[in-house]
Amino acid sequence: MLYLIILLVYTAVDAMACLGLSQQFGVAGVTNFGFIIFQAAGAYVAAVLALPSDTANGGFQTYIGGFSLPFPLPWIGAAVAGGLLALPFTFLVGRRLRGDYAAVGLLVTAVLLNLLVVNYRPLFNGAAGTSLVPAPLQSGMFVGTSNGYQFGFAIGGLILVVAVFWFVRRITESPYGRTLRAMRDNDKVADSLGKNLVALRTGVLVTGGAIAGLSGAILVSFIGVWDPAAWSYAETIVLFTAIIVGGAGNHLGALLGAVLVPVGFEEVTRFISNNNPSLPPNLLPSLQWVAIGLLITIFLWLRPQGVLPERRRVIVPPARDATGARPTRQRPAPEGTEVLKAADVSKDFGGVRAVANVSLSVSKGTLTGLIGPNGAGKSTLLSVLAGTEKVSGGRISYMGQDVTALPAYRRARVGLVRTFQLASEFKRLTVVENLLSAVPGNRGDSFTGALIGRRYWRGDEAAAAARAYQLIESFGLRDKANEYAGNLSGGQRRLVEIMRALMTEPDVLLLDEPMAGVHPELARQIGEALQELCRQGMTILMVEHELAIVDELCDPVIVMADGQVLAQGTMAELRDRSEVVEAYLVG
Amino acid sequence: MPSVGFGLITAAVLAIAAVGFTLQFAVTNVLNLAFASIMTLAAFVAYWINQTGVSIWIALIASIAAGALISVALNYFVYSPFQRRGSAPITLVIVSLGMALILEFGTSAIVGGISVSYNMSQGSTVKFAGMILTTVQLIIIAISVVVMAGVYALLRYTKLGKAMRATAANRMLARNSGIRASRVIAITWALTGALCGLAGIVFAIDVQSFDPTSTDIFLILILAAVFLGGPGHAYGAMLGALVIGLATEVSAAYIQSDYKYVVAFVILLAMLAVRPTGLLGTRT
Repeated sequence: MLYLIILLVYTAVDAMACLGLSQQFGVAGVTNFGFIIFQAAGAYVAAVLALPSDTANGGFQTYIGGFSLPFPLPWIGAAVAGGLLALPFTFLVGRRLRGDYAAVGLLVTAVLLNLLVVNYRPLFNGAAGTSLVPAPLQSGMFVGTSNGYQFGFAIGGLILVVAVFWFVRRITESPYGRTLRAMRDNDKVADSLGKNLVALRTGVLVTGGAIAGLSGAILVSFIGVWDPAAWSYAETIVLFTAIIVGGAGNHLGALLGAVLVPVGFEEVTRFISNNNPSLPPNLLPSLQWVAIGLLITIFLWLRPQGVLPERRRVIVPPARDATGARPTRQRPAPEGTEVLKAADVSKDFGGVRAVANVSLSVSKGTLTGLIGPNGAGKSTLLSVLAGTEKVSGGRISYMGQDVTALPAYRRARVGLVRTFQLASEFKRLTVVENLLSAVPGNRGDSFTGALIGRRYWRGDEAAAAARAYQLIESFGLRDKANEYAGNLSGGQRRLVEIMRALMTEPDVLLLDEPMAGVHPELARQIGEALQELCRQGMTILMVEHELAIVDELCDPVIVMADGQVLAQGTMAELRDRSEVVEAYLVG
Repeated sequence: MPSVGFGLITAAVLAIAAVGFTLQFAVTNVLNLAFASIMTLAAFVAYWINQTGVSIWIALIASIAAGALISVALNYFVYSPFQRRGSAPITLVIVSLGMALILEFGTSAIVGGISVSYNMSQGSTVKFAGMILTTVQLIIIAISVVVMAGVYALLRYTKLGKAMRATAANRMLARNSGIRASRVIAITWALTGALCGLAGIVFAIDVQSFDPTSTDIFLILILAAVFLGGPGHAYGAMLGALVIGLATEVSAAYIQSDYKYVVAFVILLAMLAVRPTGLLGTRT
């Protein structure tokens, strides 16, 4: 077989796998330590779909299936199998589980599935693996085919890589891809802005799994055998190394990484062992793994962004004013009605009761202040109101509907949106992208919308961009619009967060110390903007430490201490009440 | 009943490793996936000393020292610099996998792919409540019980143990309360590293024949025990080790022994899905 053919096919297989992992890890931040099992599933399924039944195949190996299906059915089946295999794992990457725990779960799964396939021979012939897998459109294995066929196979593989590249790029460069990157940077915040994390992660697991499955099909059609040694858990680390070396978040980087790491390592090892036949057989493979370990660590230390870093996406303001193109959300509630209500709400952390039987109501159009000493439970109350934390007891209703059981993203979608006390900008999104990520109802912010293409969603995108630029200009951040939000000052990051929350067009906005660390002049400006929004019908509940600000902006004001509501009224009224003064105003 | 005996021995070895792993994670915040690779390397250090004619029970001390030394060095040269830079937890997990590869296959490059055994006697067998145990196995169980009691005493009664618990609960707060958190963390690496080295040699004694990749599957058992009890909970890890040890070995008596690890795997995934804070973990 021509050396060039081998090189081209391995490049195609590794490049395709790297693209799938790049989408999962680099774009969506899903650390799939079990990635290799998806490639393995694709290879096995392609093998048993293409092979005749095991009894008719000499009888020396056992496997399930054996359908003698014609090309391209085995390859399609492989992609489907890789995608379906992802479904049982979606619970691992859900809303609640930490990313590193999920990664451990996937790693463990990879190790044990390998063990199972080794030991359970009827499935895929155990440790020996399935062999004699026919090449596409041929009756025998790849090794027996003509040079012309082999060359065509390699080119076909590369064409499929180009197709996959086109696919992942189309997804990544859409509003949906931006949502994936937002989730990667801070999943809790994405949740609070109405993003369904489970659906998003399921999407990348399934598409990445399908891509991995297809790469496995190409590989098994080429080498003709597939055994558990070919997909040990450590193979996933090789692909991770490729992504990190090439550049996480940049699909071209993934292609480069595929050529440098898996393909490059194989070739260098082959070269050394060919020239030094006297080396112990175990030494080179071992040193190869040591080198992978070193490479991944050194890159994460010296150049974590990789050789080809993720590029910054500059979004220019639309030429013509596109605002008003889409209708703003209806604000059904009339002035003065209770839009947000908590009844007997409690929240426990272990044995500590952070919020204890709090009842309160917020009326439409008010800018309500929430004050209290440190540890009073203000932020926790905000979290349970927004759904970031579940209540331990009590009910929360919004616009007359009971929302106690709704997760944060569903509350955000009906207009109940929060900000966070700690900096929570999406660091590797620009300021404009941060704002755009929050816009609900963008046609490109779904998997199918992204696939249909730019023409389908660019109208929505332009309207949203126009609105974003309006906000950015009114808060004086125009010259920072296309900077990474993570590179801004603390005060500017708070502004980004407030603007981002406003982009969702909330009916009720829950702000957690929006002025903390902001220049006083800017704080005054934010305050005025908030008052103006309330005049237009928005309702705001704001946790704030600076009493002067509360005094100036808020009416009414709610005082909390020790997890309970102590008093409610105007600042002037509160000053006259001794228990309030004792709990907070003096102390 | 013999399977209960096997289960107790597995649990004894597993408890030492799982307690070390979970304490390490609680105090240092590193989910150190290189733990099992350090175990193997420490077991090989004992093997090299054992090969010169020294009794394995003296080589045990060298194994403990090696585990501590490697762990401290790993933290000082790798994990700690990444943490000081503010790397994400997942970056550290990836780095620890890189370290696992370097240690495991570095060992493999030195010793080759062969299996080795310690030069030692298994001692006479003892029959007890239907279980058949060798003297060596009884010693392993005794070591484990002593270590568990020691960990309990450390956490419960000593100043260092309290400082460790405080650092685990809230590093910033501990620092502000006058605890020298960085020193506590360094000592924790030494202590848990020592447990890792001890786990390595008793693992190697228990399985009798081992090679550089022997602990790959054992890492899964450690993780299952740790997550069953709740990551970061020392007593949870002890309970987890007992349950996983017994569950894998007893199930091996009923199903094919090749599948015994599947039990641990199912427990681990179920815990991750239903209760990621573990049986004893309540805090979020």
